[in-house]
Parts: sequence; C-alpha cells; structure tokens
Amino acid sequence: MKIEITRSGGFGGITRSWSLEVSATEAEQRWLPLARAEGGIDHADAPGGTGEQRDRFTYRIAIGYTEVYVFEGRPDGPWRELIDRARSAKAAPSTASAATPPAAAPPPAPSPADHHRTAGDATPEEAAPEEARDAGPGKPRELL
Amino acid sequence: MRRGSAVVGTLRRRIHDAGGREELPGNLVRAEGAPLTGDAATDEAYDGLGSTYRLFSEEYGRSSIDGAGKPLDATVHYGSNYDNAFWDGERMVFGDGDGEIFGRFTASLTVISHELTHGFTQYSTNLQYQGQSGALNESLSDVFGVLVEQRELGQDAGAASWLVGAGIFTPAVEGQALRSLKAPGTAYDDDVLGKDPQPATMADFVDTTSDNGGVHINSGIPNHAFYLAAVALGGKAWKGVGRIWYEAVLSGSLPADCDFPTFARATNDAAGERYGAGSREAEAVAEAWSKVGVPA
Repeated sequence: MKIEITRSGGFGGITRSWSLEVSATEAEQRWLPLARAEGGIDHADAPGGTGEQRDRFTYRIAIGYTEVYVFEGRPDGPWRELIDRARSAKAAPSTASAATPPAAAPPPAPSPADHHRTAGDATPEEAAPEEARDAGPGKPRELL
Repeated sequence: MRRGSAVVGTLRRRIHDAGGREELPGNLVRAEGAPLTGDAATDEAYDGLGSTYRLFSEEYGRSSIDGAGKPLDATVHYGSNYDNAFWDGERMVFGDGDGEIFGRFTASLTVISHELTHGFTQYSTNLQYQGQSGALNESLSDVFGVLVEQRELGQDAGAASWLVGAGIFTPAVEGQALRSLKAPGTAYDDDVLGKDPQPATMADFVDTTSDNGGVHINSGIPNHAFYLAAVALGGKAWKGVGRIWYEAVLSGSLPADCDFPTFARATNDAAGERYGAGSREAEAVAEAWSKVGVPA
C-alpha cells in the first residue's frame, strides 16, 4: 500500500512530498490502527496546533484514504520513523512543489465507507483534496 | 499586551549547541561578552541576535523582544541535516540544512532576525498563526528581518535587496532567496522546489489548508505593501515605514485574529498620528495598500 507524506510550513514555506510503499499487512496492522486511533481527538491548541511555535513543519500522512495531520512538535515516535523511512526511500518518487493553487484537479472521490479523516471533523466537502479546499483549520498531531 | 518599554535594558545573548541532536537547549557555547568561538553558526547567531536587538532598542526604544529585557536564547546545530529554522516560543533554533537544498540557516542575517521577530510579535500582538493573521505574523518577521539587514548595511530602500534568506540555498538550487518583498513570487524557480508561490496582491491570494492556511505564502501581500511604501518614501526604511509598522503593532488596535484590512488601517492610523493626516508618509502607506488590493 502506498503511503504519501506531504510536508508544509517551515521557515521556507516550501511544500515537499514523499511516498513509501509498505505491505498491506504492515499498513493494516501498524499504520492504519495508529491513524484511526487518533480520530476525534480535539487538540487543544488547534488550529495550527503549534502553540507559540513558529516556522515548524506540519505533515499530512495519507495511508490509502485515511489521512492524519502530524505536527513536528516532538521528534520521536512511530510517525517520525515513517517520515524518515519515506524520506530515505531512494526508489520512491520524491517531489516538491509550491502550494497547490486552489484550482487543483480533484482525485477520484473516495468511497465514504473507506474515508477516514482522523485529524479533524470529516465532512462530505472535505473529501476533496486538501489544497482544493478553502483554508480551514488543520488539527495536526504532534509527532508521537 | 505589553507596550514598548521606555527603559532600554542590557543585551544578554546565550547561544547553545545541540550537537546534531533534537534536544533543547543543548550546551551553552557562547554567552554575552564571550569571544568568538570559531564556529560559524554560533558566531553568526550571536551577531545576528545583536543586530536584531539593536534595531528594536536603538531605533524604537524597546528593551528586547518583550519590552522588559528578556535574554535572547538560540540553539544552533539542531538535528541531523535539519532543513529549517524556527521559534519555539522561547528561543530560536537553527538547523545546518540538508546539504542538498539548504545550507546552514544562520548564513543569512534575515533568517536570524526573522525568527527573533517572531518573539517580538509573540510578546506584542501575538497574532494567531493561521490564515491572514498568520500571514501578518510571518510578514512582520520578514519586514523587520530585512530592516535589520538594511540597517547593518546602511542601505537605503532603493539599494536594498529586499530578500529573505539569501545565501542559504546550496548552489544546486535555482534561486536567490526564499522570499522577495520587492517582487513576491520571484525568489526561486527550481526543478525540485518548484516556483516561489508568493502573491504580491490580493488578486492572487492563495486559499489553502497547507502551511497553516498559507502563512508563508500570503505574507507576500503585506510584505509587498511595506516595500511599496518604503521605496515611495526612499531613505532608510527602518526609520520611516519601519517605525510606522512598529507603532501599528504596538497600537493596541490589532486583534489576535487580525486580517489584512485591519492591519492596513492600523498602519494608516499610525502614519497619520506620527506624521499627520495627508502627510507624504500617510499617503505612501495608503497608496501601498491600495496597490496590493487591500482595502483599508
């Protein structure tokens, strides 16, 4: 299964993306339960989830149709391991881009049954790609 | 909110070295008054904090970032190949770069002054780091960041580069800096990084959920307004428009969720109060906001 990681923010405000192929077993036994476990958590310092920190990174991690937002607040834990693996995966495509314009073409709509927006309040409108939506509060997790 | 202090305190810098780890603060390697260490990042951070302190202290009479003489703390050599610099609420933190796209972040004075200005904003307006207020938060760091450099170099507005982060890209990157106040959207255009996404006017405002709602992107609009006002007036930007921006921040009229028009009105008011309604300065500020499409 493909895991896509998109990093935004930082001093430069440059969005970068990495992807990683993991086995279905690993995705289903490790990453999907971890992402789903974070659903519904109300992060006290959202939006932004950054507290008084400025110029830090926020990661959007998409595991199939399940996505989670991870704030760079703490450096250790499983999400950090996943991010490091994706960044070092030489075979995986690595792209970087500026913010996607609001007119970005949406991908095929996911099945509602498969769509889990674990880091926020999912609505039908949010099934559109992140960059295609109007600015709204992200609710990133800190790296665990 | 704390207003500017009339009592200028003593500059107290403390530079720590994280030694490539992601643990703060790291080991103290240079305290105030200590000699050069020979480590470029340490000495650049030390000097950059001094330059930033002096702008706020000597030009605007503010005692450190909090108006009460707060010591200035920084950590260098944070993480391994860490390609960022940030403000953690108490200190500035600088990575050495990944060596592929970024070199060390202390190599540009504007990066150091940008991060320290986040501290000034935290202790003054504390603009929310989301959407337009977040873009204003970023813009203030860019504006005072470049003013610190211009003051150090003795540059008039017309001679300055108006670049943020010049010199931190590796030679492999097609770009001169991370942002340009003079021409937002032109700082870099690289095969790997893509093109500088900053807009210069409201017509190109970017709606996005990335980057806390585009705080590093839409900051190009108030950045460019500052630039336009500064070059219209000419001379030393930190003394003219810079003071107007500073007084607007401390006016007490900026809510934490301030939007661009509210900030524009605050700068118009500050210009009118200092120089008089209808003054050359007030007209330059109002005209600048009009040109970038922000109603005031």
